[in-house]
Amino acid sequence: MTTDYTPAVQGTGVKATIQRLGGHLAGMIMPNIGAFIAWGLITALFIPTGWLPNEQLAELVGPMITFLLPILIGYTGGRMVHGQRGAVVGAVATMGVIVGADVPMFLGAMIMGPLTALILKYVDAYTEERTRAGFEMLVDNFTAGIIGGAMAIAGVFAIGPVVEWLTARASEIVDWLIGQQLLPLVSLLIEPAKVLFLNNAINHGVLGPLGVAQAAETGKSILFMLESNPGPGLGLLLAYMLFGPRSLRPTTPAAIVIHFLGGIHEIYFPYVLMKPRLILAVIAGGASGVLTFLVTGAGLVATPSPGSIFAYLAVTPKGGWFGVLLGILVATAVSFAVAAVLLGFGRGEKAEDEPETPTEESTPVKSEA
Amino acid sequence: MASIESKDIHKIIVACDAGMGSSVMLAGQLRKALKGTDIVVTHIPVNSIPADADVVLCHAGLAARARASAPGTVLIPFQIFIGDPAVTGLISTIKNGGTVHD
Repeated sequence: MTTDYTPAVQGTGVKATIQRLGGHLAGMIMPNIGAFIAWGLITALFIPTGWLPNEQLAELVGPMITFLLPILIGYTGGRMVHGQRGAVVGAVATMGVIVGADVPMFLGAMIMGPLTALILKYVDAYTEERTRAGFEMLVDNFTAGIIGGAMAIAGVFAIGPVVEWLTARASEIVDWLIGQQLLPLVSLLIEPAKVLFLNNAINHGVLGPLGVAQAAETGKSILFMLESNPGPGLGLLLAYMLFGPRSLRPTTPAAIVIHFLGGIHEIYFPYVLMKPRLILAVIAGGASGVLTFLVTGAGLVATPSPGSIFAYLAVTPKGGWFGVLLGILVATAVSFAVAAVLLGFGRGEKAEDEPETPTEESTPVKSEA
Repeated sequence: MASIESKDIHKIIVACDAGMGSSVMLAGQLRKALKGTDIVVTHIPVNSIPADADVVLCHAGLAARARASAPGTVLIPFQIFIGDPAVTGLISTIKNGGTVHD
């Protein structure tokens, strides 16, 4: 049932492995995005420079980022490895790295949650065969309690300080990239990785945790916008709508709505994968968007997820709309222009081979349904 | 080469990386298209496809992971999210009867 009207992008072993690893990282963050957004909105509203400064409500900001968000990550990471029991010990162990370090412990939570759950999983496998009937609850509760507690202690003394050091180095690299005006170059990596379905891994696995740490310090972060800018994809889809293969043009308006308003960027990846040279368009769009964000000092207070224009507007700090909107606009325009040139402004596309067209295929089915 | 008779299909899984975005969208479309049948359509992260799935749909870029996560289940990779021939083909096979294979 495979069709080959687009170049095959079947995963090689390496690609699938990277995707899987990245999927695990993103899988700890993404179920908790609601909490990140709650934190972002409370921060944007109630801090002294926010929309409705309120000292009492602003007290929520610190504990939420220090305790709630890392514990949720550690809990989810533990659950991925060993179900509910893994989740509980993951949360307990995460408490250790939080107390053992002075910065928000996202990286630490992403390590401690799954690691502790894995240890419990092995211990459970060992004790399960050796526990007498009637003692299961006693054994289960105390193995979880002892392992969770021991890992929390290890977190305070050993793992917390190490992860704090690692987090500090990662932040230094980011600060250096920003300071040297090199940040737009990361689009060279991000945009191609994105269309290979590493988008969640990059945005939620790497950039999000770094961004939250930065936003907690300075009130906003540009790191949230590196991957999630809907501009490059929008420009590409607009170019497809006007200049793409005729058979694909009717699908693009719906794709634009889903991408730009709904924030599901996956919708545009196939349009890049079927004409791989268009990766240049989204790279150029992404890089010029990042440059615009950098020059205008734009930033967001939390991850805009999904990467919809509405999510962007919701997490833009007070007074920050100009740079944010300009960056999206510039990225759209540049991506559109480059894609239009690469598509030859629609000339000569008739000569291209289109053995199967999705629109013709979908029409009869719609009438059946 | 796994295959399944269309009348034996009870559960279709749409998988994506996080199981929260594109898979939800496509699952919703499929549910609409299959209204009136007793087929359950659910969305899930590609790493955790359940064992009771009869047919798995996912983007070709994630097919290798879906294969590893659900060996032996009919896997239908698709290329685009709206009106892909592989997806419309599956719908018409289910409605008209026949064998679905990957």
